[in-house]
Amino acid sequence: MAGVLVYIEQVGGDVAAVSRELMGKGQELAASLGGPLNALVVGGDVAGLASQVVALGAATVYTVSDASLATYTTDGHVAAAKATVEAAQPALMLASASFQMRDFGAALAADLDAGLAVDVTDLKVEGGAVSAVRPSHGGNVINTYTFAAGRPVVALVRKQSFAEAAGSASGGTVTSLPLPATTMRTQVNNVAPKTGAVNLTDAAIIVSGGRGLSDKDNYYKLIPPLAEALGGAYGASRAIVDAGWVPYEHQVGQTGKTVSPKLYVAAGVSGAIQHLAGMRTSRNIVAINKDPEAPIFRVANFGLVGDVNEVLPLLTAELRQRLGR
Amino acid sequence: MHIVVCMKQVPRDNSVKINSDLSINADGIEKIINLFDEYAIEEGLAWNEKHSGKLTVLSMGSDEWVEQMRRALAMGATDSLLLKDASFAQLDTLAAAKVVAAAIKKLGDVDLVFCGRNSTDDESGAFAPALARALGWAQLTYVGKVLDVDPAGKKVTAERHLETVVETVTASLPAVVSVIKDINNPRYPSLLKIKKVAKIQPPVWTAADLGVSGLSAAATISSRVPPPPRPSGEIIDGPDAAAKVRKLVDKLLENQII
Ligand SMILES: Cc1cc2nc3c(=O)[nH]c(=O)nc-3n(C[C@H](O)[C@H](O)[C@H](O)COP(=O)(O)OP(=O)(O)OC[C@H]3O[C@@H](n4cnc5c(N)ncnc54)[C@H](O)[C@@H]3O)c2cc1C
Ligand SMILES: Cc1cc2nc3c(=O)[nH]c(=O)nc-3n(C[C@H](O)[C@H](O)[C@H](O)COP(=O)(O)OP(=O)(O)OC[C@H]3O[C@@H](n4cnc5c(N)ncnc54)[C@H](O)[C@@H]3O)c2cc1C
Repeated sequence: MAGVLVYIEQVGGDVAAVSRELMGKGQELAASLGGPLNALVVGGDVAGLASQVVALGAATVYTVSDASLATYTTDGHVAAAKATVEAAQPALMLASASFQMRDFGAALAADLDAGLAVDVTDLKVEGGAVSAVRPSHGGNVINTYTFAAGRPVVALVRKQSFAEAAGSASGGTVTSLPLPATTMRTQVNNVAPKTGAVNLTDAAIIVSGGRGLSDKDNYYKLIPPLAEALGGAYGASRAIVDAGWVPYEHQVGQTGKTVSPKLYVAAGVSGAIQHLAGMRTSRNIVAINKDPEAPIFRVANFGLVGDVNEVLPLLTAELRQRLGR
Repeated sequence: MHIVVCMKQVPRDNSVKINSDLSINADGIEKIINLFDEYAIEEGLAWNEKHSGKLTVLSMGSDEWVEQMRRALAMGATDSLLLKDASFAQLDTLAAAKVVAAAIKKLGDVDLVFCGRNSTDDESGAFAPALARALGWAQLTYVGKVLDVDPAGKKVTAERHLETVVETVTASLPAVVSVIKDINNPRYPSLLKIKKVAKIQPPVWTAADLGVSGLSAAATISSRVPPPPRPSGEIIDGPDAAAKVRKLVDKLLENQII
């Protein structure tokens, strides 16, 4: 076992940003492990993508291309990955921590009897051994995992943990592997984009509201316009999701989404520990609350004590004017 | 049909401490059914009502978990099963799933397993896929709606709610399904039902009963620390709301946050 194998995800025919990040970090880790950086592209027709991945510094880009792989299935994609792991013998396999990759990575690790770390925020190689850092317990515990020798490691990495690969003319090659015969236990009947989908985890700016907004109408009157003025998405505490004001999609926290945007604005949100679990790693936090003792102020870079009904319309107007939106 | 719901007990919140041996100390924090597992139980109950049969709540845990298992029984589960052994305590998620798989194989007649999307403490979301692979069964993860369970045709059809798409997928039974939060509204057990199950002791199966030995964790935790504290913040002052808002926007622009 040597080197690193990166599972490439695609977005509309291009390499996903997170996969470019993994190629960037993979380069460094492969060098420390003394092996090659290889990549794996699985899909219905992946020739175009493979050449993009060569340019990201892969020594060998393995492709497994088959009509049955055009949409994701656990059985198909795990079989493709297992065939590649057999060929490439990586010490470490990297993929993102998206829902689909968790479905895939955990199944693959189980089949390979590999070490597994999910939602990894940092990776190191020390003395030839991989270690992975991952938060748990709503971000209140930062764990470092080490792995049993002689087994591969599968690490599913949180987006935006590493810088993207710069790209280099590495002179890498493309090797196509056949999909081994596989029993497909699932059949995908339909894939539909989510209506009004908010991928909060991708948003650079999030404005969240809580019970301090008083009611549903007031939430929609005050929160989405502010989010729009900032060019961001809107989120919510569980209290108002459970009250039926806002769909679950928008819930931030322990039982909702974990986000780390560049700016998180919490308005009329108390900052319960389960809410903090989902947003405390945001790069900047602005809290607006009428109670100066609200726990949200303890994690805020900027706190504004005031009534949301007064502050939010002023803030939206000020931003529209200053940002020219 | 026989439905199993895998249930994990977790602390209500994560204000936990780290012991010197790196184990987690959740003393003094109320223990609850992992929130997603309440939805798994409700989903199991709904399909069990439709097709009639058994619903077993299954946990790999300790005696302390029995209270939450009873809560599942009060919600309507017909059976319970606790997997308990000193050797289970040090297992990672993949090895834990192997233990549960051994129990489900031993039960013999299971058609469908419901799990939660993830636990709210260890949070890996790896358990359901690992369990499915250990059993050699189909898996449907992040399910936000089960459209049909057809025990005769040996099929389950469900919507998987991913970040930006909804997939409609049919899987062969037996299968493992993990559910998200907005799939249903979990029922609240009545006091009468809670009283009725208060003395039930779930049967206990040990490593010897399951024939699992020599399981080892492929991953080990070598360090555990609290997160670095956030730099202390600044309260924006001003004579009135308008002045505070202007000052806040100044700060955001100055620091190139917007
Ligand atoms: C197992 C479990 C899981 C949970 N998961 C989550 C989760 O994922 N996400 C989550 O958010 N919560 C979660 N919770 C719930 C959490 O404990 C809190 O109950 C919830 O976050 C509170 O929401 P809130 O801040 O909107 O409401 P409140 O706590 O009621 O806070 C409202 C805030 O608004 C302020 N306010 C009121 N009026 C005004 C005004 N006019 N102007 C300005 N401020 C005002 C108040 O001072 C207060 O601070 C979970 C709880 C449990 C037990
Ligand atoms: C490297 C490593 C070392 C560990 N060491 C220890 C240790 O020394 N002691 C210790 O107590 N724990 C330890 N754990 C944690 C333990 O392995 C997990 O708590 C357990 O395997 C479940 O994983 P999870 O919470 O990530 O599952 P997730 O995949 O997040 O849970 C999803 C669903 O799986 C089901 N589920 C999860 N756990 C159980 C269970 N126990 N019984 C029934 N159903 C369940 C539930 O339906 C749950 O909603 C360790 C974990 C790792 C990764």
